[in-house]
Amino acid sequence: MNKIKVENLSFSYTPNDLVLSNINITFDNRTTAIIGQNGAGKTTLVKLLKGLIKPISGDIQINGTSISSQSVASLAKQIGLVFQNPDDQIFKQTVLDEVMFGPLNIGINEVEAKNAAIEALSLVGMSKHENSNPYDLGLSERKLIAIASILSMNTPIIIFDEPTIAQDFISKEKIKNIIRYLQFQGKLVLTIIHDMDFVAECFERTIVLCKGSVLIDDETKKVFQNVDLLKEAHLELPHVARLSKELALKNLSLTIDDFITDWFNY
Amino acid sequence: MSKITVTNLKYKYPHRDNLALNNISFEIQPGEFIGIVGENNSGKSTLCQSIIGLVPHFYKGGYGGSVIIDDIEVYKSDISTLCKKVGLIFQNPFNQVTGSKETVFEEIAFGLENIGIPRDEMIERINFSMKLLDIEQYKDRNPFDLSGGQMQRVAIASIIAMKPEIIILDEPTSQLDPAGSEEVFQAVTKLSNEGITIIMVEHKIEKIAAYCDKVMLMHKGELIKFDTPSEVFSLDNLSDYGINPPIFTSICKKLNLRKDDNNYPVTIEETLQLLKKERSYEQN
Amino acid sequence: MKSITLYEYKNSFLNHIDPFCKLLYILAALSIPLILGVSVTKLIFIAISIFLIISNKVFKKVIPLFTFSAIIILTAIIIQGLFYSNNKHIILQLGPLKFYKEGLLFAYHIALNVLNILLSFAVLIFTTKPTDLIDSFVRVGFSPRFGYVLSSVFQIIPQMSETMSTISDAQKSRGMESEGNLFTRIKAFFPLISPVITSSLINTRERAIALEVRGFNSTTKKTFLNQQTRTRKDKIINIILLLLIILSSIWRIITCLK
Repeated sequence: MNKIKVENLSFSYTPNDLVLSNINITFDNRTTAIIGQNGAGKTTLVKLLKGLIKPISGDIQINGTSISSQSVASLAKQIGLVFQNPDDQIFKQTVLDEVMFGPLNIGINEVEAKNAAIEALSLVGMSKHENSNPYDLGLSERKLIAIASILSMNTPIIIFDEPTIAQDFISKEKIKNIIRYLQFQGKLVLTIIHDMDFVAECFERTIVLCKGSVLIDDETKKVFQNVDLLKEAHLELPHVARLSKELALKNLSLTIDDFITDWFNY
Repeated sequence: MSKITVTNLKYKYPHRDNLALNNISFEIQPGEFIGIVGENNSGKSTLCQSIIGLVPHFYKGGYGGSVIIDDIEVYKSDISTLCKKVGLIFQNPFNQVTGSKETVFEEIAFGLENIGIPRDEMIERINFSMKLLDIEQYKDRNPFDLSGGQMQRVAIASIIAMKPEIIILDEPTSQLDPAGSEEVFQAVTKLSNEGITIIMVEHKIEKIAAYCDKVMLMHKGELIKFDTPSEVFSLDNLSDYGINPPIFTSICKKLNLRKDDNNYPVTIEETLQLLKKERSYEQN
Repeated sequence: MKSITLYEYKNSFLNHIDPFCKLLYILAALSIPLILGVSVTKLIFIAISIFLIISNKVFKKVIPLFTFSAIIILTAIIIQGLFYSNNKHIILQLGPLKFYKEGLLFAYHIALNVLNILLSFAVLIFTTKPTDLIDSFVRVGFSPRFGYVLSSVFQIIPQMSETMSTISDAQKSRGMESEGNLFTRIKAFFPLISPVITSSLINTRERAIALEVRGFNSTTKKTFLNQQTRTRKDKIINIILLLLIILSSIWRIITCLK
């Protein structure tokens, strides 16, 4: 089982202005959503996990080994991070080459890299675009390519930064299925996300960050029961949860199917 | 008289084979709040841009049919004339900041300077729009130093100051956090109450259902349906067009709960009302 | 936000002077020595510029500029002193290096020119808000497009450097080594630079649309939020500067006729 252990982690860009203060979290194989307002420190936390920035104090261990002594490039074999904007990474002329870039960087040979890329592309449903130029495709397709380019590296840990931004219904469904598949494969999946309906449907565990600290860390369902704390973090309830709360149903339902069951059991 | 009249509009981008807009016709009345929904690449943005004249004047390409705003035909007019009547806001607030002004106040002035508004009136209009969008406190800040939601409100204020009669918003909240999106929706509702005609493309379907008077459903460049939210979202084959109804509508579909007009509810209020009625009926 | 503008408001005399006056000052500082052909005038203008810079509290900011010009001047002294083509009279010998009088004199003139140009521009740049400067260009008939390009550079370059660091993070996350020997660095160049170019092209197009819908191409006569405050003081300075230029021209013409 994969595990990330974050201990007493603090970070600041300028002294006296902590972006993250004394964070303690253990991430395990439960799919986990990190939510919170802009500026709550979500992206900073992920950058620390990836070794892109160094903490001012505290430690991060991946499967028992501290990351402080590892380079970003060697961490790349363990953690994949899908950035918010696909245009910040895409540079190859064909989709296949783009998706092969990561595996080749971490020392996988040409043949295996190609196989991994082909498999990743089929997973995101982009096989038919293998030889297209990424910039001939739409933004949501480029997002899927960016996801594939991380999946192809076959890392045990995968982090998504706002995977659903500007995505339509169909693309969101695709991303939902990808996350479920990764979880099924036993990978550790983390996501920074604003879309509460998506959180409710897709993630077992939710961590609420507020002003650089962990406000709530619990099972998703329990998190959404903390209406007052959520308000403090300027977050909303998922739509189904709002409905079930207004009706004062015994259970707080998070998904449509939950709601139907709870409704009939009432 | 209709505010916007679109008749048999067809449009093809240069170097493309397919029609981005295919034979679209509709009329919008003054002061209406219209939502546009549809999957990616269904022509939503193109339609928005055809109302302010970016299609065809900015992109060129093949054009047929007509778009008429009041009595101005878009094809025969130009963007600098149309932008006094129609304002456009889009997704990424960063790209809407001019980058040439050092304060929010000066940023909002940019458009007014261009269209030659006298200085006194300019200041009056800037103050008015800052107040409407609740951004007076950022007056002297550099626009790039604001959060996404604040920046997007500055972008809207910059358009409002030009006193357009129609405002088009193309996914204005997709880059924002929940609080930022809510800020934008509140601001737009305020504009709608001022009598401004609003056209908004948005993926957040529950918000569209709650705020809009009418909804356009687009698919592959065609206008499938243009009607009230409950008519559109009650369509049986909605998923064929890559659209999911509001969560409340999905629940009522599963419970087979309909309103008196035989449509499904689309907002939380309507749904609550129906569910409560159902419950008391069961209890009796 | 990081800003690359050199201007900082100090509530000084020059902060409140119309940019146009300062432009005219540059014109005078550069043209009068040229018209008169007397190098002492350059020294006078250098002295005036230094006085203005110090009395307007921007001397510290100008120091890097001095360092920069010192490098140029030093290079000129060495190169011209040693290798100037008209070198005849040795004036100084350091081991095998022979410095000639003619070359050093030539270098001295280069130095005066460099200092005069840099310092007179410094008087303008360090005491003028960029947007005011650009507005005054646009007011006298330059195209607003030209003005926009100039002023946006001040803000959009820092924006681009932020994009650049995100891209660098994204590629490093995919296992790209960006540090190490020259070969590694060259290999890392393309994955970094090409998203920068494509994303700035996309952003530029969006920004072009945003400008367009805010009447950027309007043919109506433009108005300005920031008023032009040309005070009596400004007018007097302008007249004095213009008179100086005219008088020196007349003097030159008369001396030529003699």
